[in-house]
Amino acid sequence: MTNLNAVDGASLAEEARIEHNDVVIGKATIILRRFVRNKAAVAGLVIFLALTAFSLVGGLFTSWDKATIDPLFIAEPPSSVHWLGTTQAGIDLYAQVVEGTRVSILIGLVVGLLSVLIAAVYGCTMAYYGGRVDKIMLFVLEALIMMPALLVVAVATGSGGGSLRRDAPSWLLLVVVLLVFSWMGTARLIRSLAMSVMQRDFVKAARYMGIPPRRIVWRHLVPNIGSLLVLDVTRGVTAAILAEVAFSFIGIGIRLPDVSLGVLIGQSTAQVSTFPWMFWSPLIVMLLLTGSLAMMNDGLRDAFDPHSSSVGKAKRSQKARAA
Amino acid sequence: MNTRASQPTTERAHGASSETRSNQVPANSPGSTLSNNVLSVRDLNVSFNTENGVVHAVRGVDFDLAAGKTLGIVGESGSGKSVTSLAIMGLLPTTAGVTGSVRLNGKELLGLSDKAMSVHRGNNIAMIFQDPLSSLTPVHSIGAQIVEALTIHNPSMSKKAKEARAVELLTLVGIPSPKDRLKAFPHEFSGGMRQRVMIAMAIANNPKVLIADEPTTALDVTIQAQVLEVLHRAQEETGAAVVMITHDLGVVAGFADDIMVMYAGRPVETGSVDEIYYGPRMPYTLGLLGAVPRIDSVEKSSLVPIDGMPPNLLREPTGCTFAPRCPLAVAACLTGEPRLEPVPRLEPVRGLDPVPEPRRNASPNPGHRAACIKADTLGPSSLGALADARRIFHAPPVPVSKFDALARSERETVLELKDVRKHFPLLKGSLIKRRVGTVKAVDGVSFDIREGECFSIVGESGSGKTTTLLEIMEFDADQPGEIAIGGVSNKHLGDGRAKTAIRRRLQMVFQDPSAAMDPRFTVFEILAEPMEHLGLGSAEVRRRIMELMNLVGLEPDHVNRFPNQFSGGQRQRIGIARALTVKPRLVVLDEPVSALDVSVQAGIINLLDRLRAELGLSFLLVAHDLSVVRHVANRVAVMYLGKIVEIGDIDVVFDDPKHPYTRALLSAIPVPDPGVERTRERIILRGDLPSPLDAPKGCNFASRCPVFAALPASLQEKCLTTEPPLEKVRGRHTEDRQFACFYPDGLLDTEMLVVHETSD
Repeated sequence: MTNLNAVDGASLAEEARIEHNDVVIGKATIILRRFVRNKAAVAGLVIFLALTAFSLVGGLFTSWDKATIDPLFIAEPPSSVHWLGTTQAGIDLYAQVVEGTRVSILIGLVVGLLSVLIAAVYGCTMAYYGGRVDKIMLFVLEALIMMPALLVVAVATGSGGGSLRRDAPSWLLLVVVLLVFSWMGTARLIRSLAMSVMQRDFVKAARYMGIPPRRIVWRHLVPNIGSLLVLDVTRGVTAAILAEVAFSFIGIGIRLPDVSLGVLIGQSTAQVSTFPWMFWSPLIVMLLLTGSLAMMNDGLRDAFDPHSSSVGKAKRSQKARAA
Repeated sequence: MNTRASQPTTERAHGASSETRSNQVPANSPGSTLSNNVLSVRDLNVSFNTENGVVHAVRGVDFDLAAGKTLGIVGESGSGKSVTSLAIMGLLPTTAGVTGSVRLNGKELLGLSDKAMSVHRGNNIAMIFQDPLSSLTPVHSIGAQIVEALTIHNPSMSKKAKEARAVELLTLVGIPSPKDRLKAFPHEFSGGMRQRVMIAMAIANNPKVLIADEPTTALDVTIQAQVLEVLHRAQEETGAAVVMITHDLGVVAGFADDIMVMYAGRPVETGSVDEIYYGPRMPYTLGLLGAVPRIDSVEKSSLVPIDGMPPNLLREPTGCTFAPRCPLAVAACLTGEPRLEPVPRLEPVRGLDPVPEPRRNASPNPGHRAACIKADTLGPSSLGALADARRIFHAPPVPVSKFDALARSERETVLELKDVRKHFPLLKGSLIKRRVGTVKAVDGVSFDIREGECFSIVGESGSGKTTTLLEIMEFDADQPGEIAIGGVSNKHLGDGRAKTAIRRRLQMVFQDPSAAMDPRFTVFEILAEPMEHLGLGSAEVRRRIMELMNLVGLEPDHVNRFPNQFSGGQRQRIGIARALTVKPRLVVLDEPVSALDVSVQAGIINLLDRLRAELGLSFLLVAHDLSVVRHVANRVAVMYLGKIVEIGDIDVVFDDPKHPYTRALLSAIPVPDPGVERTRERIILRGDLPSPLDAPKGCNFASRCPVFAALPASLQEKCLTTEPPLEKVRGRHTEDRQFACFYPDGLLDTEMLVVHETSD
């Protein structure tokens, strides 16, 4: 039956695809093509990869490290010795930015991936069992959302988490705390999405065939919300990086001697006018990082979205139209 | 009115200059000057850019439409009929390339900016969309939306006048107490009511042209009859020319003056209704006519399936686009696309009555055109168009099941329902839920299905037929009634394993084949899933899958494909194959063909017929299309508000319906035969299905019953107070039929009867 959707390019493409088997294009190819067509997204990906490479091997290009003090250069602007200048303690800023970028990306990736994983398991479980299980799990979720994350972070990384702080690096602690508070929103989203997948006929069909619940969740449910998961990972990474920067900025996240972009930005805000290089270089790196992720996310959304209008324009003859 | 299509210009798109067009316009339109035509479309081409390249969705559509006339555009999905209408309305996305000419009262519409087009849209030319649920804004009241349509094109109209006009419009489309309903929101209306509101909005400014894009596809048959009636009235009232786009040949048979059959983006046959229905000259039209199951056919015959799929519009066709699917194709068909040319006039053959060899008149008929090199040799033979279609398309013989010979009582019962109920509590209150009522979705349904039999449940949506199905599929011990599958009752069910064993005997085919299959699974995985669960070895699974692919008519080497690489019909075949993997005795079919095109539907129906005969399967079929039911089923139950109102042998019930509801349902089905449609008496039921909440005390149907309305008050009392029992006709105990009505032979209320005279 014809419906209004039949005119959008994507479904026409699909029909054409069905009609001629020799032009079948895999879904992955279409997603890749759409992603590549979005120039900003590709640029974002390139920037992100470059920053990751920079954070991993950037340290090799300089003889300084994040802890060594250079007594000859205290709070000096960028020079040939210290490419990005030094801090008030005389530490090379380039080395610190490299280290800080690595920590930030690490926190971002770990938190982004793990929180989505937790959210997926939690959300799908809620959606599948429904009823009482759903109610209880939803209550826990709501309770966690109500919890003031800021306070817990302050306590855990501050004086409260005494023994913890001795045994674990501060970034790991921050990762754990961020994880605890970052997955709830995604879990709710996944729950509602999974619930709608549960209503789809193929899940019903599997149930009527007598397929056990666990298998339905793993074989039908999780793969079908996959594109959302991918999107949420990139979104989660951005959110985690920003959260780390924010927490470190107000002094309750990463603590010295560990550095992160947030710590570097936080340290230098007091003297932006006097020592501008200390503020701007980590800030620019952070903006590049989150900006590239946002650009990528945009492209991914376009690529996964079945209603995307990501097709070129049909050539039309203005002359013929005018006639 | 003269529907014409010019020759396919090879240099279309870019070459379609005004010069060539102006040559075409005056030609070949004898008797009708241009001024008569409110809408004339010339060489309309639409192309879309897609991942695979440019898709040429509409290729050279031409037609003229005079005021007050109706043009039906018929074709399979993807034939370009909707795109044509959207191109006329200027509603296509800017990415689409549109060329050609669309003239409204002589004014060119193509190439107008969106703003300039808005002056015409909703004023001179209006559209009724398919889905009334999504075409009204949910946050504004109906009145506000109608007034908006009036305000835009009549800024000087006073508020009072607009409101009066809105009330007038709602009255015209038959909405009760229109004044109060102005303030109502779309969600307070049913689907049919919303479509009426859409029609009211469309005719608000007395448009010259009304485009209806599948206006009744989303509606129930009874509501479809109502809406078509309203559309008819709206056309009479406004004198508008109507373009009716549909895939249902039945709907346009009684409505249109002219028909344009589209295939692969091009008109392949155009002509008056009678010419198209009684003397089709293009094999595709012939196939379409033969593919439609008929509600009025007693004689059992297979439907005409049109094999294959429409061509890919990415490439410029080199030959006839229909040739790959055409049983009459010869080598000449593959060289050059045939032009749409006038065909020799034939003596029209009315109905299906055999007539002597028609006299062929040599003079070509300018109104009737077909794009087929064999158009001259085709045309109705002495047997009529339907028989021709069956012969030409090699319709398979009617399969005979080994059970057909056995009497029904001698066959084993595969499913038995006794007093099955499903009541939903209606709760109110935010914190503490109070039970304010009960929705009796299914209320005491009993029937049984024997081996090798197809039992069908019909009724409007909301009548409880799908709920009945789901209750059977759930097979729950908590069900107050008794469900016995192959002798095992839900009351005496042991553990989960016993339930799984029962599941093997009962499988389901879903309405929407693409939704019922995990898009991430290959066909092999889809078919293997139920078998793997039963612990079959991989070799056996593979063997069985190959066997099934053959059985349902799919290529065995397609097993590694994904469902979205198949067409709708093929997907439904996969759905049927999946249901058959575990060798069930009973297959439950939930609207198995309602999502498919007619030509594809015919193939699936034939397949179901064959499977029933070859495998001795029983079917439980739920369908809203009564013609399909008539064709497939052996027995039928008509449900209304959770109750069976009439049940029995299909021929007994459909040929001589006793319950007024069955009579109304049957009369609402359009027949793809213009002659029959014009003279047929139709019962137009008033209103919609009442909410199950305030179901009447006596007979459920009394509120809409045409018999009840005609009864004297003394007899009405009985209907209102006592519920009619479901019983056999007195004195005819051998007949396989029961119904629940006190006055089966009562006269019908004349106000609910409609006959269309051949006024046009």
